[in-house]
Amino acid sequence: MNVFKELYRYRELLKTSIQKEIRGKYKGSILGVLWSFLNPLLMVVVYAIVFPYLMRMTQDNYLVFLIVGVIPWVFFTNVVTSGCNCVWINGNIIKKVYFPREILPISVVGAGLVNFAISCIIILIFCLFSGIGFSINLLWLPAIAIVQCMLSLGMLFILSAINVYVRDIEYLVQFIMNLVFYATPIIYNVSIFPAKFRWVLYLNPLAHLIDAYRAIFYYKTMPNLASLGIVGLISFVVLVLGYLIFKRMEKGFAEEV
Amino acid sequence: MNQENDYAIRVKDLYKDFKLNSDKARTLKEKLLFSKRNKVDKVHILKDITLDIKKGETVALIGTNGSGKSTLLKLMTKIIFPTKGTIKVNGKLTSLLELGAGFHPDFTGRENIYFNAAIFGLTKHEIDKRLDTIIEFSELGDFIDSPVRTYSSGMYMRLAFSVAINVDADILLIDEILAVGDKHFQDKCFAKLHELKNSEKTIVIVTHDLAQVKKLCNRAVWIKDGKIKMDGNPKEVVDKYIEICG
Repeated sequence: MNVFKELYRYRELLKTSIQKEIRGKYKGSILGVLWSFLNPLLMVVVYAIVFPYLMRMTQDNYLVFLIVGVIPWVFFTNVVTSGCNCVWINGNIIKKVYFPREILPISVVGAGLVNFAISCIIILIFCLFSGIGFSINLLWLPAIAIVQCMLSLGMLFILSAINVYVRDIEYLVQFIMNLVFYATPIIYNVSIFPAKFRWVLYLNPLAHLIDAYRAIFYYKTMPNLASLGIVGLISFVVLVLGYLIFKRMEKGFAEEV
Repeated sequence: MNQENDYAIRVKDLYKDFKLNSDKARTLKEKLLFSKRNKVDKVHILKDITLDIKKGETVALIGTNGSGKSTLLKLMTKIIFPTKGTIKVNGKLTSLLELGAGFHPDFTGRENIYFNAAIFGLTKHEIDKRLDTIIEFSELGDFIDSPVRTYSSGMYMRLAFSVAINVDADILLIDEILAVGDKHFQDKCFAKLHELKNSEKTIVIVTHDLAQVKKLCNRAVWIKDGKIKMDGNPKEVVDKYIEICG
């Protein structure tokens, strides 16, 4: 419980570092923060042009199908890859003052969440204009987003802490993320695989999350609560474990960075 | 009643080692290929330090360069952690180890006050309340709305010190940063420290300004080669220190 008290005391720092995280990333570019939304959209445009030809997609409204998968994916991958060095690059402050170090990864996830929330408006606009429309099931969105936040934060705790000691993590993660992108049903529907192999895809917690997002936005149904529950539980375990590892490793931060 | 509550900082049987490796293996490749680089020599910076600081005391840590004074301060603020032993801190602690942590050169002085004070754990409301005092103390005038990169080093230090001194902590750790600005500003800093001292704050200060130690502090601790050599009345400790090291 001490964790929350300490974080509450440092809430102003948390707030300013989330702001810095959001504004700092595209600093100097003409479009600025707009890039955080343009990037996934441009990505979607490329996929929407390429994949229907490549894979003979027969998905209705493939563009919306894509957006609903890509935007949560971008949230996840941005947080995990760009957050990997969040402790390392703040080395000069870590050496000078005390503050709860977990603020650094938390603000990366916080900034990602703010971007994601705004991006969801883009998803809704696409849903509206493609004729899919909305349903009451959209109310599940916060629950799914919270599960995703727990998972990304837990991973980030571990990765950003190890990255202080072994700088290769950052580059390794970039590669693995590339791989995971194709292993997750973002640009394709799981049904293109034979039923007996599908369980392999679902070993990936992200597959369940993307399915859940797709359920509420694209199919307008309830998410599969059993799988969301299990992924939620796993994410919670990852978060707690990650926090403990981070806390253990942070003792050496000031001497290593 | 509760004796534990009389103490601001309790250091017990503290040891701190530093790794000394000149060419550190940083990447995985280096770690695997050059395993002999991973061998590190250890330096014992602090050896068996036990030090109780009561609430309201103003303590000076003196000693030659490299004796471990600053390391002890860093341990107290939880920037680094002891190899062995414990440190208990009772109350809100602020450390002025290096001025201007978290200053961003492109932002104005005013914006940097917010960043810097947030790092010290202040909320927006608390900073708003102190803003005028901080700006006034820094004597920056209209420069407060210019980017910090346009400041002279003296102005930079003045701003940083003004933020740190106005944080309003119970325990203040200060590391040789009083060589800030001109004579006028230094006098002002010491006046402020006297004021804090009289308001029952606990102050631990590392300095080489021995004349100020005698004036300001009510206790001096001489650290030599990582051990406490002498502890007591500032005048006696300083005189003995000058006799041996000066």
